[in-house]
Amino acid sequence: MSESFDQAWVLLGVGMVTVFSVLLLVVIIGNTLIFFVNRFFSGDSSGPPADQTGKGDIHPAKVAAIVAGVKNVTGGRGNVIDIRKK
Amino acid sequence: MEILRQLYDMTALGEIGETPGVLLMILIGAVLLYLGIVKKYEPLLLVPIGFGIVLANLPGGNMDVVPAEMVELPGHRYMNLFEIASEYGIMNFVYYSLIKTGFLPPIIFMGVGALTDFGPMLRNLRLAFFGAAAQIGIFGVFFGAIALGFSPKEAGSLGIIGGADGPTAIYTTILLAPHLLGPIAIAAYSYMALVPVIVPLVANRLMTKKEFLINMKKQDKLYPPKFKIKNIKAVKIIFPIVLGVVVAILVPSSVPLLGMLLFGNLIKEIGTATSRLSDAATGPIMNTATIFLGLAVGATMTAKVFLDLKTLGIIVGGFLAFAISIAGGILAVKVYNLMTKKKINPLVGATGLSAVPMASRVANELGLKHDSSNHLLQYCMASNISGVIGSAVAAGVLISILG
Repeated sequence: MSESFDQAWVLLGVGMVTVFSVLLLVVIIGNTLIFFVNRFFSGDSSGPPADQTGKGDIHPAKVAAIVAGVKNVTGGRGNVIDIRKK
Repeated sequence: MEILRQLYDMTALGEIGETPGVLLMILIGAVLLYLGIVKKYEPLLLVPIGFGIVLANLPGGNMDVVPAEMVELPGHRYMNLFEIASEYGIMNFVYYSLIKTGFLPPIIFMGVGALTDFGPMLRNLRLAFFGAAAQIGIFGVFFGAIALGFSPKEAGSLGIIGGADGPTAIYTTILLAPHLLGPIAIAAYSYMALVPVIVPLVANRLMTKKEFLINMKKQDKLYPPKFKIKNIKAVKIIFPIVLGVVVAILVPSSVPLLGMLLFGNLIKEIGTATSRLSDAATGPIMNTATIFLGLAVGATMTAKVFLDLKTLGIIVGGFLAFAISIAGGILAVKVYNLMTKKKINPLVGATGLSAVPMASRVANELGLKHDSSNHLLQYCMASNISGVIGSAVAAGVLISILG
């Protein structure tokens, strides 16, 4: 039994240190990637579409909301190219 | 009269009468079906598991999974799949080919990856640490399980329930304590379904009113992030590749789960070019895997295996692992808040366990209850997604040390 408890302490220590280390790496990798992408690949072509009605009567916030909604529902694969008011 | 006797002998009625445990198991299967169908608690899993239990416990159907010793041959060899199918029925074929080999959980993880958006985590990277703190329940409950008489491998399988991740719990249990697969899978999925009850229960006990009112958006305005992501799509595509390589080097035993999760995520993030792969991973493949996983897990739960004191220990221990994990996340945020100016709502820590996205939704609702302008969802999702990575890594540690 005491051997098992010793193992439990080892497991607690090794386990938590490993999980923290890996998630620390996630943070470091994420930040490094963001830094490099911002520096070398900053052009994001997937901006919201312009108001296609030609009247300028769709508020930019609404356009952004529609684009975000479509991206969310289609898992990022869908693209809004035209918004028309009926 | 003889005809009637023969008809009676042909049915399972006689055997059911002789073994009352069978009736109890069928009742348990019925309860799971009720929870899945009527209460909508994890129906995609509880319905196949519940039906698998019913099928496995009806005598004569040959749908119960037999212990590994029964398919073992002299000289550390095993019967081939054809022999298993003809000797013990199709459910054993499914179990020994798809579950015992550890095939299905990573396949489900691939689908989970293709449904996961790392965006919220990448936008709030510092919150990823709370996904680590919330794994404390996995290792913490190990002590109690040992004291209750579980072997270290069984205790590890029990602890992984605290990760709140069904496929991870099943994968770890297959490798460490396959005889406990049924009760552990049931406990893991039941507690995941009870996240809307358990998270508020723990949070209300550990958090003050002032902490519930910490508004993350206001904190962001007071202390804005140092830089913005200019091309999130590129970051999202490169991230799973780099992370997969690094994790494979550091914790190789977690690669079957994490590697498949990250692959699934990559094919989703690439977009149209791989959309057919992503659709397959999240649709037909994941659904088929879920059906076989649920039915086979249910079929392991025969009266002889399930009606045991250890099952009770797993149910209690699983709850404790879950609650300790939530508490660990909350307490980690409290400690963090002591050291920084920019405060974090401890509910973000409570979602550091897997259970995506239900834990985040529950925490968001809880935050809105105290302040209707306090939308925490995107922040909770950050720690919630990192919790998926954290629990897979924790499973890798358990497997490499105890396996």
